[in-house]
Amino acid sequence: MSTVPVEYFLIVAAVLFMVGSVGFLLRRNLLVLLMSIELMLNSVNLTLIAYNRLRPINHSGQLLAFFVIAVAAAEAALGLAIVLAFFRVRKTIHSDEANLLKN
Amino acid sequence: MEALHKQFPQSDFALIAIVLLLPAIGAFVNGVFGKRLGKDAVRLMALSAIGGSFLASILTFVMLPHEGKLSWMAWRWMSVTGRMGQTIPVDVKFSVDAMTATMMLVVTGVGFLIHLYSSEYMRKDPGYHRFFSYLNLFCFSMLVLITADNLPLLFVGWEGVGMCSYLLIGFWFTEEKNAKAGKKAFVVNRIGDFGLIVAMCLLFYYVGSIHWDGIEKGASALLTPVKIWPIGNLSRETLPGFLGTILIPDKPVQVYGATLVGLALFLGCAGKSAQIPLYVWLPDAMAGPTPVSALIHAATMVTAGVYLVARMHFVFILSPAAMAVVAVTGVCTALLAASIGLFQHDLKKVLAYSTVSQLGFMFIGVGVGAFAAGFFHVFTHAFFKACLFLGAGSVIHAMHGRIHDTDKSQDMRNMGGLKRFMPLTRWTFLASCCAIAGFPLTAGFWSKDEILWSAFSAKIASPLPLSGMTPFEWPSWLGQAIYWGAVLAATMTSFYMFRAYFMTFHGNFRGWKIVRGWKDPHAGHDHHGHHEHDDAAPLEGPEPRESPPAMTIPLVVLAAFALFAGFLYAHPIHVEPLGHLLHGVFDGAKRVVSERAGAEGMMWTMMAPGFAAFLAGTAAAMYVYLNKAGAPERRFAESMPGLYRLMYDKWRIDELYDATVVGMVDALADIFTMADRWLVDGILARLTAMVAALIGTLLRMVQNGRVQVYAASMLVGLAGIGWFFATPHAEVVVNDADVRSSGEVKLSAAPGYGYSFHWDGTGQADPKLSERSDVTVRLEPGEKKDVTVKVKNAFGLETSRTVSLARPPLPSGMRAPDAAPKPPAMVRPDIPTGEIPGDQIHKLLMPRGADAPSPSGAPDKGDK
Repeated sequence: MSTVPVEYFLIVAAVLFMVGSVGFLLRRNLLVLLMSIELMLNSVNLTLIAYNRLRPINHSGQLLAFFVIAVAAAEAALGLAIVLAFFRVRKTIHSDEANLLKN
Repeated sequence: MEALHKQFPQSDFALIAIVLLLPAIGAFVNGVFGKRLGKDAVRLMALSAIGGSFLASILTFVMLPHEGKLSWMAWRWMSVTGRMGQTIPVDVKFSVDAMTATMMLVVTGVGFLIHLYSSEYMRKDPGYHRFFSYLNLFCFSMLVLITADNLPLLFVGWEGVGMCSYLLIGFWFTEEKNAKAGKKAFVVNRIGDFGLIVAMCLLFYYVGSIHWDGIEKGASALLTPVKIWPIGNLSRETLPGFLGTILIPDKPVQVYGATLVGLALFLGCAGKSAQIPLYVWLPDAMAGPTPVSALIHAATMVTAGVYLVARMHFVFILSPAAMAVVAVTGVCTALLAASIGLFQHDLKKVLAYSTVSQLGFMFIGVGVGAFAAGFFHVFTHAFFKACLFLGAGSVIHAMHGRIHDTDKSQDMRNMGGLKRFMPLTRWTFLASCCAIAGFPLTAGFWSKDEILWSAFSAKIASPLPLSGMTPFEWPSWLGQAIYWGAVLAATMTSFYMFRAYFMTFHGNFRGWKIVRGWKDPHAGHDHHGHHEHDDAAPLEGPEPRESPPAMTIPLVVLAAFALFAGFLYAHPIHVEPLGHLLHGVFDGAKRVVSERAGAEGMMWTMMAPGFAAFLAGTAAAMYVYLNKAGAPERRFAESMPGLYRLMYDKWRIDELYDATVVGMVDALADIFTMADRWLVDGILARLTAMVAALIGTLLRMVQNGRVQVYAASMLVGLAGIGWFFATPHAEVVVNDADVRSSGEVKLSAAPGYGYSFHWDGTGQADPKLSERSDVTVRLEPGEKKDVTVKVKNAFGLETSRTVSLARPPLPSGMRAPDAAPKPPAMVRPDIPTGEIPGDQIHKLLMPRGADAPSPSGAPDKGDK
């Protein structure tokens, strides 16, 4: 049984991270922004798991991945709540409209 | 008495603390709580504070020992390191000798009378508690000044009275004139204080002691020459061309240290005691309430300068030059002030200039070495001048009943004939006038006469000449010149004092018509008959009235002293109880001050000019102002308007100062203002603000509130960090501390994850790549090596760095340490081999050149 080399995982993770970050930078839909963040977090998770496979002592990579998942869950819950509240105020989820505190 | 002596031993005389603290407490209570206490309580507090202080002063005077002085040390204030590295202690220590005790009695006694007087005079003033707080504080400061045992502590009191005089002169500060007068007094006094500080520093440096006894003991150290010009290392070489030849004399200018200290001290005294050139503040200081003038500018504060000169007499007697300066300044001040006083219209101005003039007399006294006489004039002057000022205050108080204008109520042209309305004030004023003018047997007569006689007869011995310096010789004509100048001043004094007396109390009252808004009830329907209105006819309206007892009692007491206090030191008739006490204090001066040859037995003769001065001045005043009602003065003013105006305008000295000194300082201030406006505000402040604003504008463009822009900058930063970690870095730390001794250099490369290193050029066989980040290189002297480290990181990227190492060659003539010669062997005596006679061995063992003891000498005997 041949194993997949670690580089492959890293390349996939890098691509995922790039997709997430570009999405975060270019899109203006708050929901899409949240999803981009999730994408980046998951790319980091993938990297951690891949390295854990390379060096399985302590399984610290996997452990860290669980932490990231927990944080991501909290962040998603908070983020969605904010989006919901924002939508109630402005009747839109376009991030450029979030300018009530400006000026 | 026994119990008192036990309670207050001579060296720990805590009674001084009571004398000092009572006024301080009074000042504190009245100052802080006075407004709520009400006027009665304020009066009680102030009067009991100063009265208690007076009683304690009497007790102190009574307990004064015949030898030595009473002293009380409160605490160690600080210590200063002297020139020789010795420690000079500066204590908060007070001491009382005969002079201080007399002065204490004057300050607290006259002070009490003036407090009593003020309690009535200031009755209607809203600042009653403030006034008494200042008065008490002033008395406290003055007591500190006179009881201080060292110069720095005296300076505390000195500044304290200066501050209080500022507060009291500007007591009615809502009028700008008064506030300005206070400011002027303060600023002029600062100039004098500068001199006092300089004197203190000089004493610290040259004498190495700062309390009176220490200075007296070490005063001879002041007989060293001090180079005062050129200063520092200024010489003809360091100055350009002609400046050097002009400014730098062939021989450096040297003076005695005593002269320097004396002159610096005298600058301080001239400021405080209103002498030329710093007298200008005192006449302006009459802007304060009249009791203030009596307390501060007649009886106590202004005499501090005389007190200080008398206190430091052991410095002054070492320098005839400084004493001559003091005496000449004194006589010049006496003459100038008396001449200004001749034609002043303001009653208080006349008294002010007479104070300046009398202070001049005191300085003549201390300047010619008659310290006791000069100080005695301080004592008598306190009584008659306080009485005069309080009498003037009583007159002004009465005039205020009719004229509610400060200037007009003090103008003698509006007075006249007041003896009818206020007999008590008149008689006391007359008594003090006689005293100040020198009517025989009054206080002023004895004290002034003693000063005049001392000036006439004194001869001041010069200190022994030092190498390269000839000391100033007291010329024999100087004393006589001073004497005749003083007689002239005394003539003027008696003239203007009796002029003031006659204008105020005799003739007809001229104040009927000048009441503001007052109309002559007959003026309207007075067509027929007498057009010339009789000045004497009283118009309706309030009359001047005698002051209440709280004001007249002090007048009577002071007048009594003005008449009879002279018998405390009546030298010509040998009734001098106070004189004996004071002579103990000024014992040291006897060495230097002696009677001039040719003056013996002339004492009674030379009293004649003094008495003639009184007669001439008084008679002239009587003729002009009593018989002719001032007509000759008006004729003089018409015939010589220029001179009259000039004298009335105080010789325009104030204007001269304004044009020169004040103008210069103003110009300097303008320059600093410009520098402040353009340099500090313009360049420093505004430019800095502009730079900050520019940076802020730039940064504000970045912070635009868009989340994506923030995220993008985070990503850029992340990429930068990633780039840093992805590339290898070869940093080498070189430790060559031992390169000179052993030639070893330790190199260590900065470590990193996944790094491997390859060292090249170390002279060792290295593995191709290793995780070894440290390496040690050994160098021979004068050798140079280039060591290269190659670093490869986890991604396989490589970089390298080369460091050049060198070991300095050993200096020529010195070989490498391993080839160093042995240290020279110890010199041993040559010991010949073979048989040596026993008695020679000892000689041979001695080092070469040393004399060997003789074998049969004395040391051998001792051994046996």
